[in-house]
Amino acid sequence: MIRYSIITILLLLAAFIVQQFIPAFTGMNHSRILLVQLVFLCCAVTVGQPTMLLLAFLGGFFWDAQCALGPHGGDPEVYTQQVENLRFGYSILLFGGMGFLMQGIQPLFKQGKWQFSAVLSGIAVLLYLSAEYAIINFVRGDFILNKPTVMQMVYSALLTMFFSPLIFWLLFRIAKACDHSINPEAGRRRRRTTH
Amino acid sequence: MKPLNLIALLLFLAGAVWALTRSDRSVREIQNAYYSAMSPFLKSGSKLEMQARAFLEETRHSKELEAELQATREQLGRLQLIESRFRALEYENVQLRHALDFKKATHFDVVAARVIRRQPTTWWRTVEIDAGSKRGIGTQLAVLSNEGLVGKIDRIDGAGERSSVLLLTDEKCQVAARVEGSPEVGILSGQRGGFDGDPMLRLRFLSANAAVRPGQRVFTTGRGGIFQPNVLLGTIESVEKGALDSEALVRPSVNFADLGAVFVVLSADS
Repeated sequence: MIRYSIITILLLLAAFIVQQFIPAFTGMNHSRILLVQLVFLCCAVTVGQPTMLLLAFLGGFFWDAQCALGPHGGDPEVYTQQVENLRFGYSILLFGGMGFLMQGIQPLFKQGKWQFSAVLSGIAVLLYLSAEYAIINFVRGDFILNKPTVMQMVYSALLTMFFSPLIFWLLFRIAKACDHSINPEAGRRRRRTTH
Repeated sequence: MKPLNLIALLLFLAGAVWALTRSDRSVREIQNAYYSAMSPFLKSGSKLEMQARAFLEETRHSKELEAELQATREQLGRLQLIESRFRALEYENVQLRHALDFKKATHFDVVAARVIRRQPTTWWRTVEIDAGSKRGIGTQLAVLSNEGLVGKIDRIDGAGERSSVLLLTDEKCQVAARVEGSPEVGILSGQRGGFDGDPMLRLRFLSANAAVRPGQRVFTTGRGGIFQPNVLLGTIESVEKGALDSEALVRPSVNFADLGAVFVVLSADS
């Protein structure tokens, strides 16, 4: 269990490195595969709450370190209405929220129905992007939502969701290598049917 | 709720509050540490990317020709910039001769850099370039191309070899701007949200009866302490008049989809 938890943390950190090399799809409204969020969501459904919260903290913290913009700069007398920045650390709470959402269907995952988790990871990414965009609008004023933005969020969620079976497959392999079961009820059922 | 879960939740919330209360300076330090740790991966990654790109290019040109072409392009862009700057200086000089109260000549020095990564974040319009503090680049410096203003330096990575450029098309990149052939000045910035085709800019805070029309060019005023004066920003596409002020939609002069070489203005006294 501890070995598996440590590996999920390392997997999340590795996702940050890989994310650096995943380009945005310009033909699809600059949508992208959010690998960090995907790895976090898939891991969140396979671990206990304390580990999920640790992953959420690390994920949100490093995501903001990667993406946060600097202060505006320039003469405040000329730039009187400066555009607000999002506060560093907001992603920690968003990651935490997504993690709790994923843990909500943990009983289904434990029964071996990982497909529900795969679909929910897409929904969670869509909710994450919507929440992030809503926060930007709230902080900066004027609610602006146009079709390209909606399409960007939808495409990003779909593209990310398509890769979730791969991450789950990887997690099952890691769990097996660590001698740890991430869906114990499914394993028990399988053993009962074979006897 | 289990006691262990409750303790974990409380620790998580305490950690989140700690992160949310960091000052801008501490955030910059955290980012520096993060990008320093990432630097070896980014370096080898971009090296591989460059090699792959060069390999593909080799099918059309020989490597020597390609390098020569790249150097010539950079040189051409640099000279075009200097030429346009000299024209602006010439104009300024004539005006100052009349006014007799000019302060000093303008020094204009640029560093050429290549765009190595586009749009690394979801919501912000940024690109990364292959030059950092090792080549004298610092934050809040203007970035130009031979077509006009590209944006400003937002962040330098810890190793000093890369920088992040906040593009003019981002809502957060505000530029004090003037309309050619009119006394109108305003603040130009990008627009929020995704864009389908060409990104457009908004020129706000023009006077209510602004005598501006489509086709007029927009330049930097040089006020505000970041951007040098008389750098081309774009061309007015349409004007919306309001009760208190007017706004104009501006088509940027730079083709942001095809950014290759850019120039960071190291020192320029406006």
